[in-house]
Amino acid sequence: MLRDITLGQYYQTDSVIHRLDPRVKLGGTLLFILSLFFFQRYPGYLAAALFLGIVIKLSHVPFRFMVRGMKAIVFLLILTVAFNLFLTPGKELVSFWKLTITWEGVKTAAAMAVRLTMLIIGSSIMTLTTTPNNLTDGMEKMMRPLRVFKVPVHEVAMMMSIALRFIPILLEETDKIMKAQIARGADFESGNLLKRAKAMVPLLVPLFVSAFRRANDLALAMEARCYRGGEGRTKMKPLVYQKRDRIAYLCILLYLAVSITVGRLVWMWI
Amino acid sequence: MGIVKASDVVYEYIRRDEEGNVEGITTAVDKVSFEIAPGEFVAILGHNGSGKSTLAKHINAILNPTEGTVWVDGMDTGDEDRLWDIRQTAGMVFQNPDNQIIGQVVEEDVGFGPENIGIPTKQIWERVEESLRAVGMYEYRKHSPNRLSGGQKQRVSIAGVLAMHPKCIVLDEPTAMLDPSGRREVIRAVRGLNQVEGVTVILITHYMEEIIHADRVFVMDQGKIAMEGTPREIFSQVERLKELRLDVPQVTLLAYELKKRGVSLPDGILTPQELADALTGQKRGQS
Repeated sequence: MLRDITLGQYYQTDSVIHRLDPRVKLGGTLLFILSLFFFQRYPGYLAAALFLGIVIKLSHVPFRFMVRGMKAIVFLLILTVAFNLFLTPGKELVSFWKLTITWEGVKTAAAMAVRLTMLIIGSSIMTLTTTPNNLTDGMEKMMRPLRVFKVPVHEVAMMMSIALRFIPILLEETDKIMKAQIARGADFESGNLLKRAKAMVPLLVPLFVSAFRRANDLALAMEARCYRGGEGRTKMKPLVYQKRDRIAYLCILLYLAVSITVGRLVWMWI
Repeated sequence: MGIVKASDVVYEYIRRDEEGNVEGITTAVDKVSFEIAPGEFVAILGHNGSGKSTLAKHINAILNPTEGTVWVDGMDTGDEDRLWDIRQTAGMVFQNPDNQIIGQVVEEDVGFGPENIGIPTKQIWERVEESLRAVGMYEYRKHSPNRLSGGQKQRVSIAGVLAMHPKCIVLDEPTAMLDPSGRREVIRAVRGLNQVEGVTVILITHYMEEIIHADRVFVMDQGKIAMEGTPREIFSQVERLKELRLDVPQVTLLAYELKKRGVSLPDGILTPQELADALTGQKRGQS
């Protein structure tokens, strides 16, 4: 159950998307997410879904891996949909007890659900096709100008890459602790929210202890391998834009142009 | 001078209570001196708390001695300016493979060390390839470390150290968390490094079976080197090893018990083959 979060989990295969420069994927994902929030009309979402579909096809990553990441946000999704459904003022559709569903509510709720779903799948593609090291390399290079403002770009990138690397390990550990506690009669499933939250405490304490121990070990191992910050470090895989990266940038721009014009056109047409 | 030299090394841990007052001092390493020649395979043996890991951390300048001096390839480990040279000369492999792999892909992890010491990109790739080949993990270079077995992960860790071209590798209980087949894999890789690449190896362990190939063995107890010698010399003193709370390999123990009951056998038998030869030779002698 806990291993279902695919965010930050690299899926190993070879595809065009895998080989793209991480900066392209980062920029592309960012633009894609932004585009989702610009659209007000459905044709825009259709364009986005089409674009997403093509990218998924190109990435050679089984679709079920992306859907797995969705399970983690199901609760958030339901909450958002519920809020939008019941709290948007407008033309009344159905009304019972104190709750009213409005036509506008249905529309925003649907839009919100589609947006969130595509957002998660979109960012899952990025993390599934890019190794975290690659990803942070990309971020590091993109944010290099910030060093002028004394932002510790390299350190932040390193921290993120380590955090990402340890997610699966810590998840596995959580699973183990949970099973150990269940074997000794702990109950994580029943009771109300408060009771369940309380049941998490004996899970979190050993997890934190172990995380600190791992952090200590890792710091030691990194120092033993001569890690001393970004100064004077060379790259095993330096980032250089290739022809395919330029083509990808063009595709993303094309998608933006098409989706915006399509959205506008149909809007005028209606 | 040897590749690693220690003279009168003392290391004290200061124990503190909850308010931070000094409760007492534990001497983890107590006046230890030794010298290791280049290309040697040295095993350091000892039960938990004997100070063997603390001693190992001195060779990589992770710890500095409270008293005494450690030299690595002629460099004093207390010399802050040479710290990175020392760590590059004496690589270290730790116990838990999960906690020392930084990369999400095997080859990226092996490249981490060379990146840190500023090796040009092209040479990093060469080093990664040769290191992975040396430990027999080249086919796994594109894999995620999370999908490897413990023994394979530990071999990746060793490759990661090897890629920095160290003269000496210190392995701090590299097999403690592995299953028997993983343990064999790792020990085979370590022996390969020592014999083929000529890297000085300092192996810290509490598994007796792993030290039979060592050139020299130190047995540590209460921060001191209690015994020193070749594996054969060490294993011929079964009584002494038992006093130090160490297990003797099964064959050696069997030979020892047989001898105690009157079978004439040489001291310090290390492998089943040796014992078999000694026993059959003896039978032939009697008949």
